Amino acid sequence: MENIIELQGVNKSFNGFKLQDFTISVKRGFVTGFIGGNGVGKSTTIKLIMNLLQPDSGTVSIFGLDYKNHEKEIKQRIGFVFDENILYENVTLNEMKRIIKPAYKNWDDALFNQYVEKFELPLNKNIKNFSKGMMMKASLTIALSHHAELIIMDEPTSGLDPIFRRELLELLHELMQNGEKTIFFSTHITTDLDRIADYITFIHNGEHIFTKEYYKIEEEYAIVKGETNLLDRDTEREFIAIRKSNYGFEALTGNKQRTEEVFGDAAILEKPTLEDIMLYTKRGKDKYVESHS
Amino acid sequence: MQIIISNYSKEPIYEQIYTQVKKHILTNELQPGQSLPSMRQLAKDLDISVITTKRAYEELEKNGFIYSVVGKGSYVSEQNIEMIMERKMKVIEEQLMTAIQNSKEIGVELSELRELLTLLYKEEA
Amino acid sequence: MLNLIRKDIALQKKTLIILLLPLFAYLFFGSSTIWIGVLFCIAIIMQGFSMDEKSSSNLLFNSLPYTRKEIVSSKYVGACVFTFLVLATIFMGNLIIHKEMIQLEQLLFTMSIVMLFISFAFPFSYLLNSQYLMIAFAVLFVLYFIIVNMFIPNLNDRIRELVQTALSFDNSLLYLIVVVSVLLIYIVSWMLSIRIYSKKVF
Repeated sequence: MENIIELQGVNKSFNGFKLQDFTISVKRGFVTGFIGGNGVGKSTTIKLIMNLLQPDSGTVSIFGLDYKNHEKEIKQRIGFVFDENILYENVTLNEMKRIIKPAYKNWDDALFNQYVEKFELPLNKNIKNFSKGMMMKASLTIALSHHAELIIMDEPTSGLDPIFRRELLELLHELMQNGEKTIFFSTHITTDLDRIADYITFIHNGEHIFTKEYYKIEEEYAIVKGETNLLDRDTEREFIAIRKSNYGFEALTGNKQRTEEVFGDAAILEKPTLEDIMLYTKRGKDKYVESHS
Repeated sequence: MQIIISNYSKEPIYEQIYTQVKKHILTNELQPGQSLPSMRQLAKDLDISVITTKRAYEELEKNGFIYSVVGKGSYVSEQNIEMIMERKMKVIEEQLMTAIQNSKEIGVELSELRELLTLLYKEEA
Repeated sequence: MLNLIRKDIALQKKTLIILLLPLFAYLFFGSSTIWIGVLFCIAIIMQGFSMDEKSSSNLLFNSLPYTRKEIVSSKYVGACVFTFLVLATIFMGNLIIHKEMIQLEQLLFTMSIVMLFISFAFPFSYLLNSQYLMIAFAVLFVLYFIIVNMFIPNLNDRIRELVQTALSFDNSLLYLIVVVSVLLIYIVSWMLSIRIYSKKVF
């Protein structure tokens, strides 16, 4: 089974916001970074994957199983981290462990203690006195202590200092060593993804824009810079969105090779960042909506 | 084996790995039959994604520099390396032949040519 | 599901021990055991309920390998466990302090009131929030007075009559009817809560 997560033709209206005919898949044994602006449906998607929300129509299947008949079986194999603290605040980490441990068949105390030690977490201090970073480490410790095959994280790095973010990425690298685990995590700190993400899934306004191998993005997309006189009706069509100024233009193309052929040496082509792609895609979509309404 | 990755290079990361591993193989630093680090290990050590090292290994395998055994790992290939070396040697021979012919045309002596070659060889390094 | 009940007990351990003191104080001063039983049961059960009302707790338990059915059911079964614990404590306390056994009928009556309360409070709280329970009861109280004063001035008398007729039945039959109907209401409420909770969005 190649795909660990599969959403097929999912529709969901929720809080004045819509996922429409939404189809994504997440490959086994890899890290998929889930990107998109605020309020475009990242958390909704994660909640659909966790069965915290049910789709209005379409199917959600995890490990090839559906939630209707295999809810507990699926959740046994998932480790999760949310961006808000979901642990009880008035208990210690040790007490929290005792609450969660019996839920999992594969809970591993030795593994739990190993992470507690690694993260230097206090076992007997109330969780409400934890710093944001410690809370995150505590959630992660719990998520990793039952040998989950699929780790789902919603904005795990938000509000964390750069040093811990790097340590977290190192930890993720370690987790990926045996090839059995799959990680799916949303983030808007796209630089985290450079070092770890194998696939990027990008959504905008409830629509799946693409899921691609990370290296393919730089093969296909490019930032193009040149003088404004290069632009006309035909050449403008090459771009997802264009930003013009008095000094020239900057644009994003999704077909680097063809753009290279069209412009030759007249324009400069640069490697785009994920942020470039997010920004220009949003602009392109907004303009599209404008010109068609 | 040393591999240096630049995140700011225009060359994609998998290509940087490909080129460097290839060089290590062609210079015999990596010998035929020698095992390579696993894709996942290499990804971790270089702090890059697994799919990048996977792509690099796939390219290396496609071009016959390495082969992989399912469940075991990747190894430096044997026959193909010899073939590549042979092919390269042939190219070198041909190019040297042209150089020799040109030398003869304008009367450059063997010793002079050798000196020039030595000089250029050292400069290139 | 047992894990969830055990969790509720573990989390309330401290509260339970603290409550033991006023419970014995009440008993010592000879307040009505029915009244004490109902009060303590409801207080403990609703405290346990409100603890898990935060969206973060809902996120946690719904992400763990539990179904929504189990999460709701654990509260209903847990409520019975807590009621049993409180009544057992009162029974023992009464035995020690006053050297007398509480009648089975009294215990059954207390249990019935608690279960009736829960049957209303749980679905209501799943639908809205337990914070609104007090308001709801205030509204009900006002409604009751309006009805009594405006439409059926003799409602109280009628209820009294009803109770009288009921009491005139053969005792065991009466208790059977009461217990069975309370149980039925409890089960209907249970099913209703599962329905409400399954559709909730976190």
